Amino acid sequence: MSEQPRTLSSASLVGLVAKREISARIRDKNFIISSAVILLLLLGSLALQVALDSGTEESRIGVVGDVPGLEQALQAQGEALDVDVSAVDLADEAAATAAIEAEDVDSALVVRDGEYELLVQESAGGSLEAIVQGAVSQLSVAEQLAEAGISDLDVPEVPVVALDPDADQDSQRVVAAIIGAGLLYGLLILFGQFIAQGVVEEKASRVVELLLATMKPWQLLAGKILGLGVLGLAQIVVIAVVGVAGAIAFDVVDIPGDLIGTAVSVVLWFVLAYAFYAAIFAVAASLVSRQEDLGTVLMPTTLVLVAAFVVGIQASANPDGTLATVTSLVPGLSPLVMPVRQAAGEVAAWEVGLAVLLMLVAIALTVRLGGRIYAGALLRTGGKLKMREALKAERA
Amino acid sequence: MTPQRRAGREASGRYGADGNDHRPAGGDVLEFDGLHKSFGDNRVLDGVTFSVTPGSMFGFCGSNGAGKTTSMRIAMGLVRPDAGEVRWRGRALDQAVRRRIGYMPEERGLYPKMKVGEQVAYFARLHGLGSAAAAKASDEWVERLGLGARRGDAVEKLSLGNQQRVQLAAALVSRPEVLILDEPFSGLDPIGVDSLAEALLGQARDGVPVVFSSHQLDLVERLCDSVGILARGRMVATGTVEELRHRETGRLLRVVVPEAAPQWADGLPGVRLVSERAGDTVLELADGADDQAVLAAALRTGRVTHFAWQQPTLVELFRGAVAAPTAEEVAA
Repeated sequence: MSEQPRTLSSASLVGLVAKREISARIRDKNFIISSAVILLLLLGSLALQVALDSGTEESRIGVVGDVPGLEQALQAQGEALDVDVSAVDLADEAAATAAIEAEDVDSALVVRDGEYELLVQESAGGSLEAIVQGAVSQLSVAEQLAEAGISDLDVPEVPVVALDPDADQDSQRVVAAIIGAGLLYGLLILFGQFIAQGVVEEKASRVVELLLATMKPWQLLAGKILGLGVLGLAQIVVIAVVGVAGAIAFDVVDIPGDLIGTAVSVVLWFVLAYAFYAAIFAVAASLVSRQEDLGTVLMPTTLVLVAAFVVGIQASANPDGTLATVTSLVPGLSPLVMPVRQAAGEVAAWEVGLAVLLMLVAIALTVRLGGRIYAGALLRTGGKLKMREALKAERA
Repeated sequence: MTPQRRAGREASGRYGADGNDHRPAGGDVLEFDGLHKSFGDNRVLDGVTFSVTPGSMFGFCGSNGAGKTTSMRIAMGLVRPDAGEVRWRGRALDQAVRRRIGYMPEERGLYPKMKVGEQVAYFARLHGLGSAAAAKASDEWVERLGLGARRGDAVEKLSLGNQQRVQLAAALVSRPEVLILDEPFSGLDPIGVDSLAEALLGQARDGVPVVFSSHQLDLVERLCDSVGILARGRMVATGTVEELRHRETGRLLRVVVPEAAPQWADGLPGVRLVSERAGDTVLELADGADDQAVLAAALRTGRVTHFAWQQPTLVELFRGAVAAPTAEEVAA
């Protein structure tokens, strides 16, 4: 009748499975909700950051009367107190009152015969009063000194020596790395759950027997991991781009390059961590036949992830400590510790290389051994299967 | 031969009443060859051998745990045999060949949340159809099995009978060269049984060898060109139902003589009395026993109203085959 069936390569089978996973998942309510929640959280925390960080206040001060040097003195005082002061010349007191009521200015300084008066709507904030008082005192002192014939007063300046000039940037990078580790942790748990539920769904509905009649277990496993991995990667990339772009746009960070570097390293570590944990979650899930039993088999892996996250946070405070140094090399822990160490301190290139290499070896071993357990366990339904039994079944 | 059986045969068209394929086989045969399988100490299959010619229906019978499902799973590559292999057109089944087999597992399985049309199309793609061809074939089969209106519904929303139809669509959608169906009729109402039977006969008519297992022996007898009876992991009988009947050693003869004298058949050589009730006698004749001598004896005792070989039903053949261990089994 129509087209004759073609032979399918492993790649196209894996691709078919992956495509089904993606199309099933993006229509899944849980996935949509969790994605939306993550993005909202991210945008919310950015907004909060912006609100907290808008450190420099602004103040518009109206000035009635002509006092030379007053505007400069007000601005100098404002600078010292982190307030952006601008002075607006106003004609008279009535104009000043009108301007305050119209909220054109926050306050108005009226100068009449060497007497000063500050007009405000309700009350002068602490900083406003200090600025005006400081400026007026400064002018008055200068005037009186000039009258006494003292000029060129030698006031010693206090130079500031920063012990750690990069501390600010460092702390920004560390914050970014901690957020990154948190994201990694959350996404790994989330996608691990998705994978595990998918595996059990296929077992519980017995559709797996029909699938395995057309493909090998590893092709099914690879397709599932790949499909959800594409989604996970897309999600973390979107989050990273939105987060970094938002941080740069709202001027939350000083050196965008560092932030981008941290974001890229988090994304790359996600790929390694995902491959490792997705395989473990899938294999663990293959040992049970009901969604209700998932909790028990996923618990040990989840605990490892929690531990990795906690160690990662600890590493931000003490990036060169023994605990952080060792765990940043241990496969499974490294993806959540190494990016934090990289951001918080100096990590030699060979350390990163070694961590990546060990992780790759661990992934290869997991996929190989896990694939066999998975293959042996898929067609065994009933209670919870032991790994040893599954391996035996695979050889049978 | 029952009328239904006759109807089934005529539906399958090109085959003679003897059930043999008169078309040159040309090696288009599905062969199960010497399958052995043990799970631990439990020997499940002990040399299962049979073959199915194209366009014929092979009914696979056996009690629970006899090894039918394991044999089929071996054919589908889901269980590795300890010895033996399954061949199609002389070639051992591998993944590429299996892709051209339509399979229905004993435990029905579909993605519960996936839509009917998409699901059938997905299985078409897994069997090697391109994207457009899979969508088209899916539409056709969903329509043909009367599920057109449910195409966009999730499978879990369908009744069990309709889910079974989707399962069948998933097995047939790729136009398989071979069908292997494990208990396809279980759980169907009589209407469902008829429509599935019709679909399978249609496949056989198109030249597809169909193997199916069933506990419904009347159905097997009605539909199948040949049957295989599996007991304790061995094929204890294979062939057409006719052949199996003739292979029965002691043959049964039913003689009705309303006013017969008691024990009228005693003393006839090679004749054993099976049952006698109000002139209705069933006799078992050994090989070489003279049925005409029995008739003569019957006529001597009264007016004979019925004299005919008794056709054992498949159920009786099955009971006989499954109950008694074969000589080989005893030897082993």
